[in-house]
Amino acid sequence: MISPKLVEVGRHINIELMTCSEVESVEGESGNFEVTLVNHPRYIDLAKCTGCGECALHCPVTAVDSFNMGLDDRKATYIDYAQAVPLAFTIDTDTCIGCGKCETKCMAQAIRFDDKERKTTLNVGSIILSPGSQGFDPSGLEYLGYGKYANVITSLEFERILSASGPYSGHLMRPLDRREPAKIAWFQCIGSRDLSEGANKYCSSVCCMYAIKESVIAKEHAGSDLDCAIFYMDMRTPGKDFEKYYNDARDKHGIRFIKSRVHTIDPVPGTGDLEVRYVTDGGEMNSEIFNLVVLSVGLQTSPDVIRLANRLGIELTRGNFCKTETFEPVATSKQGIFVCGAFQGPKDIPQSVVDSSAAAAAAGEILSTARNTLTRSKEIVPEINVINERPRIGVFVCRCGINIAGVVDVPSVTEYAATLPYVDFATENLYTCSQDTQEIITQIIKEKNLNRVVVASCTPKTHEALFQETLINAGLNKYLFEMCNIRNQDSWVHKNNPELATEKAKDLVRMSVTRVALMEPLKEAELEVNQTTMVLGGGISGMAAARSLARQGYETHIIEKSDRLGGQALNLFQTPEGEDIREKVSLYIDDINNNEKIHVHLNTTITRVDGFVGNFESELYSKNEKQILKHGVAVLATGASELKPVEYNYGKDPRIITNLDLDKKFIQKDPMLKNLTSAVFIQCVGSREPQRPYCSRVCCAHSIQSALELKRRHPDLNVFILYRDIRTYGEHEYLYQKARKTGIIFIKFSLDNKPEVTLQEDQLRVGVRDHILNRPLEISADLVILASAIVPNGDEKLANFFKVPTNNDGFFVEKHAKLGPSEFATDGVFLCGLAHYPKPIDESIAQGLAAASRAVTLLSRKNIFMSGTVAMTDPAYCSSCGVCISICPYSAPSFIPDDDRFFPGRAQINPVLCKGCGLCVASCRSGAIHLKGFDNDQIFAQIFSVNEVI
Amino acid sequence: MSHWEPKIVSFLCNWCSYGAADLAGVSRMEYPPNIRVIRIPCTGRMSAKFILAAFRQGADGVWVSG
Repeated sequence: MISPKLVEVGRHINIELMTCSEVESVEGESGNFEVTLVNHPRYIDLAKCTGCGECALHCPVTAVDSFNMGLDDRKATYIDYAQAVPLAFTIDTDTCIGCGKCETKCMAQAIRFDDKERKTTLNVGSIILSPGSQGFDPSGLEYLGYGKYANVITSLEFERILSASGPYSGHLMRPLDRREPAKIAWFQCIGSRDLSEGANKYCSSVCCMYAIKESVIAKEHAGSDLDCAIFYMDMRTPGKDFEKYYNDARDKHGIRFIKSRVHTIDPVPGTGDLEVRYVTDGGEMNSEIFNLVVLSVGLQTSPDVIRLANRLGIELTRGNFCKTETFEPVATSKQGIFVCGAFQGPKDIPQSVVDSSAAAAAAGEILSTARNTLTRSKEIVPEINVINERPRIGVFVCRCGINIAGVVDVPSVTEYAATLPYVDFATENLYTCSQDTQEIITQIIKEKNLNRVVVASCTPKTHEALFQETLINAGLNKYLFEMCNIRNQDSWVHKNNPELATEKAKDLVRMSVTRVALMEPLKEAELEVNQTTMVLGGGISGMAAARSLARQGYETHIIEKSDRLGGQALNLFQTPEGEDIREKVSLYIDDINNNEKIHVHLNTTITRVDGFVGNFESELYSKNEKQILKHGVAVLATGASELKPVEYNYGKDPRIITNLDLDKKFIQKDPMLKNLTSAVFIQCVGSREPQRPYCSRVCCAHSIQSALELKRRHPDLNVFILYRDIRTYGEHEYLYQKARKTGIIFIKFSLDNKPEVTLQEDQLRVGVRDHILNRPLEISADLVILASAIVPNGDEKLANFFKVPTNNDGFFVEKHAKLGPSEFATDGVFLCGLAHYPKPIDESIAQGLAAASRAVTLLSRKNIFMSGTVAMTDPAYCSSCGVCISICPYSAPSFIPDDDRFFPGRAQINPVLCKGCGLCVASCRSGAIHLKGFDNDQIFAQIFSVNEVI
Repeated sequence: MSHWEPKIVSFLCNWCSYGAADLAGVSRMEYPPNIRVIRIPCTGRMSAKFILAAFRQGADGVWVSG
């Protein structure tokens, strides 16, 4: 999943990757830092290593594979995993015996035994820290037997076991005897939420979800007979769509969830199995035998990172995470230094991606005046016109060291290629991808006057862009190129069949040659991006997005349907850290109002949106007046609101209120709060119910914070919190611990046994079944506070305007749940805040910044080039049936307007919106649509040349 | 017929199955060399005509994956 991102970063002209490096010191100040780096030797020249792996193949040393968590071996010359970026090996000097075999075997001459530690200094304007976290080491917790019993493993080890590129090639086996387990147990909160010495007090946020995922995947691997049990304290699945996953794991996959903490693990002699002893909630002693035990270890900051933070003078939290403020969620205590990822707090991938975009925005705000002063751009070589010329094809066959040549007879493939029609030149290279070969190819194209190129080597997924760049440098259109995969899909998979592999290579080369002969130079649509931005929604995340966009130099319009900025944040009293929210929000609003690049439109809605990425035109409607706003991007921050409960007698008595009602009473200093003797909070009101199956994420911390506030005012007050699972993830866990210490009473209930709120002669009574005593309990209350769900301000019209989807719960659906949380699949439209999913203020602001950051990647280019492989219609053949228009997921086709002079009513395709999937081409019953680069004749050419008879 | 080997033409989606075929190589898995892969931008591009054309060219099997 992250492989394309890695490749993109590795190839980016303005990203310099400095591997094997550590920060020694940072001098200077925001805008002008001098960073001293220690560069540890790699012993392999990064520029020359092609990642072919020949060195490791011949290395005689066996070392422990740390990437596979010690479950496997590797060589002293190694690479962590096959898709690593940069794709270059390194020598582990702790185990290397210095035999020099790798040096003699490396045909690229990349081995550098004399490589030394160096120091480099960098001058930078801002710094982002993303050092990540490490898994908790459970060997200190003796009762678990980790390190003593081979079949007690950590969740990280289990991840590697499940991985197809892991130690057992994805086969689910246990380490001791490589037998397939029939019963697996997961223990949650290992090293987290643990007050004992050596463990961490905070919740690690991610373990519940990953344990469920591991159990579901384990069942996928081993079949549904596999018995999986998860021992937990609270199941914490407050992320988007996580609750549904949890429900499915229990109801559809049959994963057992046992609420208990295991106290003893004993080996069952002679079997490798483990007897697990635990006490249930009701106090019953139980024991069960498992074949494998997985410890769900938490996240923690590594000692190296703590030392780094100390060197930089950055403040840490109690849990050794980077200290940040609610309203500045990615700023460290040192100006100009920002943070993202698990060093900011234990968090999952989507939140880490949000933070990383946010940190980029914050760093960019400081640097906006210097934008593009140090960036490099490619030199533009004029393109040679090849239209109407006979194809003159050059074929470059790669040996890839011995990766291809060790199996496929490369000289005979090259010789064969030279005999094919229109091939003017064919040669072989040791490594076609090496830098010097690019120059040779450029020269050959010019000398031989070639107008089409085929490279027979590895996969276009990783190398097509590299060779296309070479074509551009030689003055050829980059679409006059075809890659032929004779390594990943030939030599590597048929190594015991060299003859047939060679035959296959010849066939593949022939297919590529016939295809490339029909390729035409394609033009990429160029699009000017309007530099004005529009943010829909003036809540906290919308304001965060707008402020960041303005600070980065873009004119920004905030469209707010109500009469004031601030949104839901204005209804909130305190952050979990005890900061006054309204005070901070009003400072934020002042900042917005004082920024001359921000234009606020209150009492305004949108009635129409035309256009597409870079060139939107929205109609703003306010007080019977219409106004057109032209903008390049749009950020949707339309928010959400509190559900008005329909249960627990809400609305029937002024003492039955919601969390926001209570905040209002705090803010207005309501005298009602003065004479209280008993308050009851009820959690999950309207959330985690069949009709609204998601968790509203913020209510647990919110209720506990309010309960503590009540307790602070009236220490004698009896406060009860009735809950299903307490989900104070991350360092909010301290709140929960404080609440328990303060004497707040927590009573767990289940969905099929919900509390009841009754009114008896002016007396409020809450009935609940106590989960420990298993007996009904009746509490008389002066105040009942309902933790009501957060429901999106679902606006179907708006979703249609921007052609963006919403899910069953009414929240917007982002581009990618993990890697694209702050943008839509529709280009140029971004999202943040509660409209995406319920979240607290710090996460809302981070996502606002993230949306701004994603938008700036588009805005800062000013002109964008779309792909050339897009569909186009031949209107003369079009029957106006409209199938293409209804089938296209990107809304690229449309009818030519009726008043047009040519072909009115026929279909046309906007090349800017087209993603080149070809759905319309295959669906067109008239054959009127062509997909450039993958047109019928080009694909037929490949099919027809599968056999030698052409 | 004892030495008969089928000829299979496959159409793989650039975004998923083609990448999976690459990964099979990276993982050094082995499979018989009877298959010829044609990369397509998406299985949405697939047309019945391609399948018929492949059979007419003598393919014994056509595999579309995406």
